[in-house]
This record gives sequence, C-alpha cells and structure tokens, in this order.
Amino acid sequence: MFFLRKYKTAILIIALLAIALMMLSVNLKYGAERGFFSKIVLQAVAPVQKGLNASIKSIRDAWLRYIFLVGIEEENKNLKKKINELKSVIISYQEGYLEAQRLKKLLSLTDDYNYNFIPARVIGREQAALSKTILINKGTVQGLKAGMPVVVPPGLIGRLVDVSWHASKVLLFIDENSNIDAIVQRTRMQGIISGAGSRGLILKYISKTQDVQEGDVIVSSGMGGVFPKGLLIGQVSHVDRLEASLFLKINVAPFVDFSKLEEVLVLASSENKTKQQ
Amino acid sequence: MIYYLLLPFLSIILVILQSTITDVIFSGRLVFELSLIVVIYAGFRLDLARGAVLAFITGFVFDCVAGSMPGLFTFIYVVIFLFSFFASSRLAAEKIYIIVLFSFFCAFLEDLMVILFYYLAFKYDVLMNIYFVLLPKSLIVGLFAPVFFYMMRRVEVFFYEKTD
Repeated sequence: MFFLRKYKTAILIIALLAIALMMLSVNLKYGAERGFFSKIVLQAVAPVQKGLNASIKSIRDAWLRYIFLVGIEEENKNLKKKINELKSVIISYQEGYLEAQRLKKLLSLTDDYNYNFIPARVIGREQAALSKTILINKGTVQGLKAGMPVVVPPGLIGRLVDVSWHASKVLLFIDENSNIDAIVQRTRMQGIISGAGSRGLILKYISKTQDVQEGDVIVSSGMGGVFPKGLLIGQVSHVDRLEASLFLKINVAPFVDFSKLEEVLVLASSENKTKQQ
Repeated sequence: MIYYLLLPFLSIILVILQSTITDVIFSGRLVFELSLIVVIYAGFRLDLARGAVLAFITGFVFDCVAGSMPGLFTFIYVVIFLFSFFASSRLAAEKIYIIVLFSFFCAFLEDLMVILFYYLAFKYDVLMNIYFVLLPKSLIVGLFAPVFFYMMRRVEVFFYEKTD
C-alpha cells in the first residue's frame, strides 16, 4: 500500500502508457473496430463540431458578404466613372453630329449659289442692347473684306463691317442700323428691310395698294451690289395698313435664330470662285 | 476533481477548434496542432499526474477525431508530455527562442515517431512527407507556441494571479 502511495504518479504514467500501447497493439492486431470510448468521443464531437462550423460559416458568410459589398461599392464607383466618361463621349459625339448637320446645311448652301463661300466660326456676340453684331474668326488673311454678305442656311444674316487680320465683325440685319434692299418673292415688290432689334425686321416703303400677305417670303433684291440677288431674308409675319401712312407696316420674321449662330459663311465675290476654278 | 471531469470536454473542444482553424486558415493543406502545444505547455506548467492525464485524454480524443490508429497519438502525447515535463526543469521557459526551438523539436519528434510507427507497422514509406507536411507543421507549432504560452500566462494571471 505504501509502495502504491509512494509511486502512484509513476504507476499512473506507466498505466497510461501501457493503456495507450495496448490500444495500439489491439487495434493493430484486431482491425479498426472502434471501441466504446471512441464512439462516445465521436458522439460528443458531432454537436460541438456542428455548432462551431455553423458559427464559422456565419462569420465566413458575413465576411464574404462584406467583401462582396466592398467589391460592389468599388464596381459601382467604377461604373459611375465609366458612365460619366461615356456621357462625355456621347456629348462630344452629339456635338460632332450637330456640327456635321450644320456644316452639311452650309455645304448645301454653297451648292445652291454660285459664290465663293468662306466658312467661319462665331467666336463672340455683341452684348449691347441695340447693337446686334457677332464676331467671327476669319479676317483679311482669309480674304475677307468689309461689306461682304454673311449667310447661314437658309439665308442671309448680315454683312461684315469691321475686318481685322484674323477676326471680323458682322452686322446682323436685325441691327437697327442695318438696311437691305429686298423684294417680296411672290409679288416682286421692292422695299427696304430694316433691323428692328429683338422685334426682328421691318419691310419699309411698300405702298398700301400693294398685295402683301403674311407668309410671303422676302429675299434680297441684289440692288446696290452689296448682297447677291435672291438670298432669303425672312417671312412676313404681320401686315399693318395704317390709315395715316402711305406705306404698309410690314413685320418680317428672320429665317435664322441669331442666338444659335455657331458657323457662318462669308460670301466672297463670284469672280473669285471663277478664278479659283 | 473538477479538472478531471472537465478535461474530456475541453479536450474535445480543443481538438475540434484546431481542426476548424486548420480548415479555415490553411484550407486543409497544412496542419495546425494546437493540442500538441497544449501538451508541451502542460509539461512546463502542470504536475506530472495532471499533465499525463491531460496528454492521455487529448491524445485519445485526437486519435478519435483525426482518424489515426487509436492509441498512437495517445501514446505519443504522453511521451511528449513526459519529455516536456523533464526538460522544463532545465529550460528557461520565459525565453521565446527556447519555446520556439523546443516546440519545434517536440513537433518534429512527434512526426518522427509517427513515421517510425507507420514504417514498422505497415512498412509505409512516408519519409517524403517530411518536407511538405511535417516540417511546415513543426514550424507552425514552433512559431505559434510562444503566442500560446504568453496567452496562457495572461489567463493564469487573470484567474489565479500566478506569475511563475
């Protein structure tokens, strides 16, 4: 008894080692049939393993969801960036398309008339209340001279008043100082088109006895040699027969929206074109 | 007494935890044998009887869960505990490099015993696994052992205010 008490730890260890070796040898000799304690351990392991796996899975899922959301956020950011880039591309394409449309109209105009057209871009607008002028990016270097008519599809818009080397000022025919000799296309009645600022144009000096109707087209008469004959100016918008006056008061709406001018054509003389050809 | 009653449950949790960690971190490619570190730590901190029982039960549970030959790791864990227990009196356990080297050596010793057993019992030549599985496993055990030792000391201080 004393011996057991004195060497109990050593005996315990020897016993443990012996049990382990016995287990090993029994299993080696008689195959892999699991013992009672093994079955208990496995039985106990299952629920713990299941619980742990469930928690690990939930943590992993949450993490993966987080990673996924981070990815989504990044992707969203990239897509937004791409959308903005594509928007700018689309806008530039639209600009190109609209410019092409305008230039196409200009080209069609050059085909219609036998003149030498010098294309120019509008680079500024006169902001004064009464003055109606625009600034274009061509000047004497490109062959421009004061007095040359300026057109955009489908007709006349004014003439050059000041010309420098690389820029020119165009006096629009809606300017109060602008007077153009014009005719009513239908009746061939001649008059003077004067600018009326924001009100458009006024056709003057048409006798009250003449037949002028709303919708009649007004074109340049070619008189005076400044503007070629037959260029569109506008359309009669209102005819007033004042009793006190000898002439009709005719309001004319220009064909062109002057606030949207971007490119114009300056008409050089037809002789130049003939020479070039 | 409560120690001996709780030991099987704690061993089961430990072994499951280590298999789960291995699965999550190493995707089953490497083995992280936390139970071996516990046995080594027991050799440094527990008395002979408690430590031997802990090593026996942990080894047995590991045998059951890992699917190895029943009794193999039970035996090896007890041997490693005894080795660790007798070495602890000659080693300065507070030095990190000592813990690293000793744990690495114990893990390597365990692997050698496994290889020897399989060679003697089944004539399996598992020597080639040394480089790909056993050596990395020993390294992982060696590197993680100081962390575990530190954590366990903090736990001991927290519960028992036992610093040495």
